[in-house]
Amino acid sequence: MAPSVLYHCPCLSTSSVPPPPHLPSSSYSFHPLNTLFFCEECDAVRCNQCVSVEVSSYYCPNCLFEVPSASVRAEKNRCARNCFMCPNCRNTLAAVPADPPESSDGRISGSVNEGPYILYCNHCRWDSVEIGITFEKPTGLAAQLQKFEDSAPDSLEFDRLKEHFDAFLRQSALAASTTGTHPHHTHSHSLHTNSITAAASAALARDIPGVGKYNPLARSTNNRGYGKDKSVNRDEMTEYRSRSEISQAAGGGELDVELMNGLEEVDEVASLDQRWESSWVSSMQTKDLKPIRIPLHSKRSKRCPACTHILIKPEQKSQSVRYKIKLVASNYLPGIVVVLPHVRQAKEELLKRNLGKSVSAQAEEPSVGMVAGRSYEFQLNLTNPLYDPIEVRLSVQRVHVSTAPAKEGVSPEKAKRPPFAISLPTTKFPISPFAEAWEYEDDEDMFGVEDDELGIGPASATVKTTKDKDGRARPKTVGVLERKANKTVVGGEIVIGKEAQGSVKFNMLVSYTYRSDDPAPSESGDMDGHNARAPEIKTFSFYTVVDLGPIIPREEVKLDL
Amino acid sequence: MSNVPTTPRANRTVHHPTTPATNRLNSSHITQASPHYTTTRRHSLYGVEDRVVVDPGSRIWKVGFSGEGKPRDVFFAAGKEAQALWKLSRTSDPQARLEEDKMLEVRLRHCLRSVFHDSLLTDPKARKVIIIETPLLPMYIKEMMARILFENQVPSVSFAPSHLLSLMAVGRITGLVIDCGHLESVALPIFAGRPLFPRIQTTPLAGERLTSHLRALLLMFATYLPPPTSLSAAINVPAANRATRVPPEVLSDLVVEEIKTRCCFVGPALDSRAKFQEEYNAAAGGGADSSSASSDVDMMNVDAESTSSHAGFESTTSSQAGEVSSEFSIITNSQAESSVPVSSTVRSEGYLEALASMYKKHSTATDLKMRVTPVQQTGTGMGTLIIPGWIRERAAEVLFEGDVDESSLAETILNALLKIPVDLRKTLASSILVSGGTAMLPGFIPRLHSEIIRSLLTPTPPPSRNSDSSKRRPTLPQYDKYSTLRPLMPYFAILDNPSPPTAQSERARGNAGKAPAFTPAMLAWVGGSLAGALKTGGSEVIRENWDELGEEGDESNVHADDAMDISELTTTATPKKSNILPDWTRSPLRPGAPSAIAAKLGAPAAGAHAAVPSTPSTPAPPSTSFNFSRSRSSVAT
Repeated sequence: MAPSVLYHCPCLSTSSVPPPPHLPSSSYSFHPLNTLFFCEECDAVRCNQCVSVEVSSYYCPNCLFEVPSASVRAEKNRCARNCFMCPNCRNTLAAVPADPPESSDGRISGSVNEGPYILYCNHCRWDSVEIGITFEKPTGLAAQLQKFEDSAPDSLEFDRLKEHFDAFLRQSALAASTTGTHPHHTHSHSLHTNSITAAASAALARDIPGVGKYNPLARSTNNRGYGKDKSVNRDEMTEYRSRSEISQAAGGGELDVELMNGLEEVDEVASLDQRWESSWVSSMQTKDLKPIRIPLHSKRSKRCPACTHILIKPEQKSQSVRYKIKLVASNYLPGIVVVLPHVRQAKEELLKRNLGKSVSAQAEEPSVGMVAGRSYEFQLNLTNPLYDPIEVRLSVQRVHVSTAPAKEGVSPEKAKRPPFAISLPTTKFPISPFAEAWEYEDDEDMFGVEDDELGIGPASATVKTTKDKDGRARPKTVGVLERKANKTVVGGEIVIGKEAQGSVKFNMLVSYTYRSDDPAPSESGDMDGHNARAPEIKTFSFYTVVDLGPIIPREEVKLDL
Repeated sequence: MSNVPTTPRANRTVHHPTTPATNRLNSSHITQASPHYTTTRRHSLYGVEDRVVVDPGSRIWKVGFSGEGKPRDVFFAAGKEAQALWKLSRTSDPQARLEEDKMLEVRLRHCLRSVFHDSLLTDPKARKVIIIETPLLPMYIKEMMARILFENQVPSVSFAPSHLLSLMAVGRITGLVIDCGHLESVALPIFAGRPLFPRIQTTPLAGERLTSHLRALLLMFATYLPPPTSLSAAINVPAANRATRVPPEVLSDLVVEEIKTRCCFVGPALDSRAKFQEEYNAAAGGGADSSSASSDVDMMNVDAESTSSHAGFESTTSSQAGEVSSEFSIITNSQAESSVPVSSTVRSEGYLEALASMYKKHSTATDLKMRVTPVQQTGTGMGTLIIPGWIRERAAEVLFEGDVDESSLAETILNALLKIPVDLRKTLASSILVSGGTAMLPGFIPRLHSEIIRSLLTPTPPPSRNSDSSKRRPTLPQYDKYSTLRPLMPYFAILDNPSPPTAQSERARGNAGKAPAFTPAMLAWVGGSLAGALKTGGSEVIRENWDELGEEGDESNVHADDAMDISELTTTATPKKSNILPDWTRSPLRPGAPSAIAAKLGAPAAGAHAAVPSTPSTPAPPSTSFNFSRSRSSVAT
């Protein structure tokens, strides 16, 4: 896994300090920057788990038809036009004319563009003839199938059940009202009684054979003698006759057992998620699967949970990918990318070696990682999205507990010792403002603190990096390595303990100061003067978790060697 | 860059950002008569009356709108590979528990939000919600769900018991419902619409146990062919030369799950106990030949112990599994623990071998080949897993063979029947309903029926037990637990039995297989949809009420929920949020109810009132059996 930086959203906990990163639940508090929003009113980061969501329009992801919200429900949240998914591979199905029947002389008779039409999967070659579905015309396919859906046994049975219970409930309600002041009814409406129970609560008064009456007042004494004969009571439901009984059903039972017994291929049986939506007993076989109408998507606008200001609002039209309002965090918070030079270098070398080789070899992940008991350098690549220069200070939250679960035999104090130590520059460092590319006049504006040759940028050549790394003095790895346009590269170093396990993950507090409401555009690069001039300096800070990847335990390395 | 970045304003809460959690609560107070709610009312034209019905399982969720015959969406709650959302037990370590709860909460929040936003594409503010709950769903989970839903501004939440809903889905209000889910199987008798909660019976023999048993069997008896090292090797090297034992890494949760859902089924019961025993002895002897000489002594043990009940046999199976896969360790039972660990390994190997050869003899199921992702990419293509037919057919045996501590499914049903008043037994025995995802295995329900009959036929323990088991500790005097139920035998009928046996009574004929052909897994959801359509879906908790309790309700109480003892249970005077959630274990008695003692003993359900006083012979169950987490511990010891 590539090293990553995730940003903290404080919505899950009450404290502002994020949870320690080794807890599995902490992963839910941290999100990639591109999924976060920023509420200007609250001056806070918001994530997808805490914003409140409103649907602004519905559309089919396949035909991009905008579905009016009135018909969404009736169409069961699925496209009611021509869009279908293959039941096997979930690819979009195409409506194509079926092969016309060949006439006796081998020539194709009739025009190609005449029906019948079938649904055909371009990926797995499934077609709807397999299950006997053909269409008269290639449009409005869902409507043509609608009649099957309306007569689906589950919905018919459901309606019958509803009628059955409706009658029963009406009857018992009627009975209840005629009995009038029956004590049970008054109580059964209390909050703690289940109201299904309440619905049948007339039944409570019923003489359960052999069971003592709970409320003798409600019953006349002569009931007792022939309680069993009083089977026709008002709570006694008339027997429900199923429309289609399970023992008469087409699938299930012995048939399925026989099918399974003689199964030759796993694929003959549809997978769980292909059949679990059906509430009616049906065939288990893959060949009986029906095409699926494509589920609709929605365009959503999101609001801040605290102040209900809109954070993001898409344009209504389904074809448009623009937003009317877009307060995303990447426009407010500096973007951070973390790079492990030694891993990248190794990967590139591997890539070079594999250039001529077969594809299968590339599936092997380079086993370059961080070995316990050694130290590595890493680089943080910070980007300023603001039109003002910012000054950033990084501080690493101390890691208190071992990232790995304590092993037996390891003494507790050893397990408590932090498995690794991070050194990062503690002083503030500036990042130049964001500007359009043409505003940078010359390369000297984007000067480097060190030589520009230093191959740290993402596109730099490997060989150079290697050379420079070898020649570079040790202290230089920690500190500001490079400044270029609105990017600054900061180097850090990590020392991994000998017994360390798990992965290198640490919380990092990023605080940055910026000038707010300063009309004068700052001169890029002029960092010294700005503190004195700017009247309003504001600070914003946020937590991130930096994941540098797993630690390779020492024993394993020895084995490998 | 469509939006010009402006400088962030104001640094009010830089180091101490206000917590949105509290903000949310506050804002929901303010917006009680919220403009959102009133504006969305216009949607009532489009059927806002329909409620959202959620059947949240520990693994699989089914969601949809009420009034429809099938759910709109079904999904894995925590991803396909992930474990269940919650387990039967919680960790005791407070730190770890906090973490566990946090995980549960974020996952629940994720699921519940995705129900509205991804599955149903609906506004949570506009829809009432019905949550289908299993009767033993721990309060803290219910409370958590309610809190998350109300944070998302749903107008009301109601909880409805799944067993009752399942019955409604087959058009009845009386019946004995057994729900075989993922974590446990729960049998609950329901009479005239009232669940007899104190008569509830549970067993952990359910989907999860089946999965781990299946995994253990596959590890021992399935064959794995690693991908050939080169394309030519695929032709030249015969498959037999490549065959190896199954490496545990190959059997990912995903693969086992797929085998369970696509390949497994339940074969008919093996003929009779006597024949079975005989076969088994022979098989055990045969197993000794094939296994190593060092295990000869153990094989004698096998012979001696093989005369014991099948239950003991099974328990060692699970202990074996415990060594194969660590996940199994939670369910080791007392017998496995007491046995000497060293010998138990070898012995249970022998047992499993014996088991295998016996089942092999009886099984006609075909072996299956399945493509699986190899452990590491060494060769070309995918590895092949060969699943013996008998595993496909007999993996589910684990559900039908309980032991002293964990009753089998049939025994669970019979135990529930034993607990209900004599006069109701015939009615309930003839209207058994099986629901839940595990019951979707082909052949499951017919098998369950024959297992019920078999348990009634067989006096437990079998007579052979006392004859020559010199090495065993003396057994209990013979005790025929189900003798009182034996006269009911002709009346047993499973409502949703797809292939009912020839009925032996009028009543059984009228009931067996007469349910509508809804699948067992969907019964509860369909019932919930029905209840929503009939507007009877459980008692509602209105958002306003919930929010009113917002200030008083403190979290610590909620988290201490299951540590709560009886005294605390009766003395909680301060209103807290979980109190407004319906909870049959705690609901107050109606005026005139006998005494608070009865409440402590957890018999508050309406139906139970009618039943309890008249049957004093039935001992009131201890309150622990109503506490979800504690009932586990009583099972384990």
